[in-house]
Amino acid sequence: MSTEPHITDNQGGTPSPTRSGSGSAPSHLGDTLRWAFELDASPTLAGATWLTREIVPGARDPFDAIVATTTTLDALEQLKGAYKMLRTAGTTTAERSLAARLYAATIAAALVRHGKLITSQRGEALLRAFTDLESDATMPEAIRSIASQALTAARRT
Amino acid sequence: MGSRANPSLTQTNWDLIRDAASGSTTAKASLEAITRRSWPAIYAFIRASGRSHEEATDLTQGFLCDVFLSRHLLERADRDRGRFRTLLLGSVRNYLADMHRRRTATTRMPKGGVAAIEVMAEHGLEPAEHASGSPERAFHSRFVAGMIRAAAERLQRELLAEGDEASWEIFRLRVLQAATEGVAVGYDEIAPRFGLEKGTCAARLLVAKRRFATILMDELRATVEDPGDVADEVQQLMALLAHRPTP
Repeated sequence: MSTEPHITDNQGGTPSPTRSGSGSAPSHLGDTLRWAFELDASPTLAGATWLTREIVPGARDPFDAIVATTTTLDALEQLKGAYKMLRTAGTTTAERSLAARLYAATIAAALVRHGKLITSQRGEALLRAFTDLESDATMPEAIRSIASQALTAARRT
Repeated sequence: MGSRANPSLTQTNWDLIRDAASGSTTAKASLEAITRRSWPAIYAFIRASGRSHEEATDLTQGFLCDVFLSRHLLERADRDRGRFRTLLLGSVRNYLADMHRRRTATTRMPKGGVAAIEVMAEHGLEPAEHASGSPERAFHSRFVAGMIRAAAERLQRELLAEGDEASWEIFRLRVLQAATEGVAVGYDEIAPRFGLEKGTCAARLLVAKRRFATILMDELRATVEDPGDVADEVQQLMALLAHRPTP
């Protein structure tokens, strides 16, 4: 490597680049440090939130992105892929469990909001995933509601 | 990969200083390693203090020879353990105030010189690069830039050694290349190159980002004597770099 990163922050997502040689390069380096060491009040949610903002910039958190009516089917599919990997790559059991719930939630949202089943899962496995999500008291009400609607839709198909 | 073959990759700055002063069989390698880590910040301070590129290069070499090779810094390091950054900055300040040393620098240069000095010419330092801002700001900026670069290089070595070229390339394209060339590479372009879903690319970047942060923390830990000072050092550096000079 022969160059140095001059990076600015972008709402918690990947830092936005600026051309090197800018007069505020030291500030950019400070932003890079902040980006690398950014912390969150809820470490379990921090990784999923960062990941979500990579795909849905400006999202407040994963739940916000999943339930928003403005989130496209393509974005939900991307989120599903991201949470799928986080289910295994998460650093803690809590983070991996959360990723599993978010994974199911993206499938539920795609079915309810866009009428599309974005998984090869069918039958009992799918119903069980939605049922578990609906009954998980740690999930926000909006997510549980999406799960409930998805359960109804899945039973009809 | 690499850290076992080259102990300097895992040693703290203090370890290297002690070894350099010890006269051991690895003393020369330790001296070169600490010199290599330190000179960009030294040069930046001198350059931003009003010297030309040529003068700053000359003075940096003089400082390395007089202060590092004559063991002034090594002796002080034993007395004033703490933050390497603070010790180095104080030493450069004192050196500039004691300009007569410059005249003797070349006579103290060892046969074959110091390997790290030769790298300076190849490093692409632009004469105007540090012309603005305070010397201290330039020093801290270079100090942090050096750590970020070292952390990125180590991340690259580790990921490639594990055969995870995709994660390194995603990190490089999405973070490093974007930062240095001013072109943000989107997941739409990155994902097909590796036959991955866009969401999977983002998740790989998250894993690489966390690893990068861990490595960067190691780099910072190498600059303080007490590991408990690392968090405070991070906050100090952020504050120092966030300060914008009055227009």
